[in-house]
Amino acid sequence: MNEYLCHDFKTPRVDTSRRLPSSFRAIPIIFYVALVGSAYVMTMDYFNYKAALKQKTDAEERQKISEGKTESLKNEKASLEAEATKAEKVAQWMEGARNIQPIAVKIARAVQTDTRITQVALERSEQVPANIALTIHLNGSKVSTELAAIEASLGQLLYRSYSPQQTKNGDVVEYHSTLVRQAE
Amino acid sequence: MLLDEIKSVLSFAAFKADPDDSAVPWNKRFETRKSLLINVSRSAVSWRSINKRGRFEEAGVMDSELGDAAAQRGEEWRGMAEGGWCSVSVNHRFIISLENNLMRGDNCVSLLRTNPRAVLGPKYDRGKRYAICHHPETTASLLLAVEESLVKVTEDTLKNIQLKPGRVCCGLFAMLEHAILSIYRASSGGTPSDFVLIAACEGSLAVLVQQEGQWRDIRCRSGLGPEAVETALQIISPLLAKVPQGSPVYFVGDGHDNKFRTELMLHLEKVGAADLTQDDLLWTIIGEH
Repeated sequence: MNEYLCHDFKTPRVDTSRRLPSSFRAIPIIFYVALVGSAYVMTMDYFNYKAALKQKTDAEERQKISEGKTESLKNEKASLEAEATKAEKVAQWMEGARNIQPIAVKIARAVQTDTRITQVALERSEQVPANIALTIHLNGSKVSTELAAIEASLGQLLYRSYSPQQTKNGDVVEYHSTLVRQAE
Repeated sequence: MLLDEIKSVLSFAAFKADPDDSAVPWNKRFETRKSLLINVSRSAVSWRSINKRGRFEEAGVMDSELGDAAAQRGEEWRGMAEGGWCSVSVNHRFIISLENNLMRGDNCVSLLRTNPRAVLGPKYDRGKRYAICHHPETTASLLLAVEESLVKVTEDTLKNIQLKPGRVCCGLFAMLEHAILSIYRASSGGTPSDFVLIAACEGSLAVLVQQEGQWRDIRCRSGLGPEAVETALQIISPLLAKVPQGSPVYFVGDGHDNKFRTELMLHLEKVGAADLTQDDLLWTIIGEH
């Protein structure tokens, strides 16, 4: 038998709408759950945002420190590279610089006794130490032959005359050339 | 309007029963809310308030018609009812009759309110409001018919003092229904085939006779004063004679004046009547169920 429910014969209202079914209670429940969930997510987002901002500030500070270090390392590297370049150039110069005594000896031996050498100058080029500017002042009757002999004897030392020039100044023939070391 | 509807859904108010939803017990409709119970007899009006915790509080009685009582007590009653909602028991100008083969069904109660002709057929009278109590085991039914004009006048009177009747019922019929249900529930091993049930409520009296498992007779009378014990006995005695000796006699009664009930019970005890009355029975029935 069902629970007793008292009868009722009052005049029914006409302006009433049907009560919402109980299953519709899920709507406000979902609303409140969503509200609480959103509040939770927003709160967590806020704290995460604050934490991210702090991390960003820390990262920026670390980046600044790293950039400073990188800059100083770059400067140090540049100075080292400059030093290395200089050293390399010196090494190259040293490698290119060869003794000039054999040249002088060859020149002296190539010239006959009746020809006089009034001046010999050997000047090493600063940029290309392997090249040597040769200046010879000769006085004699067979200067051209002597000069050819000199060039031939220098050829034995693997030097080749580059752009040789002869000018005659009275009895003296001035000879200018650049001795270029040939590859062995 | 739309905002109010949204608010009512979000506050779960839209899922609560309306204060005048007759399909829901009174105490469920007014959980955590105050309400007022009024009993209207021919020459007296009594009332009781229910607080927010569902407990009975202030009570009162006035020997006058409802109109006069409402005019004098309107403000006091409004203070006892949240939103002005009250449950009204009308205890006069009614007839209870015994019918057979009336429609039964889940929607029968609501149909009786909206389209009584569909339930009662040719027994329907345009100027009446109805309520039904079915026999749990047979096709018999008790049919309550109340003057519609009385119901409307009662509703209008209460509306004039800004009270809203959430329920209008007949206290005597409700007590009768409640007692029948209690008897059938209590006797799960077997309902007595013969018994007499006497219900008295604020000067109204109803006597139901069951013989051989069938409701055989019902008599009712309203407007009996506290001194009308003799009149009541004149109604009860012939019906008591209808059932075999030793058959159970049940009595339920409520009213502000216990004199009638006490004197009647003195006579009924001679036939072994059992008093099923509980404290505040009328108020409990119309204020909880």
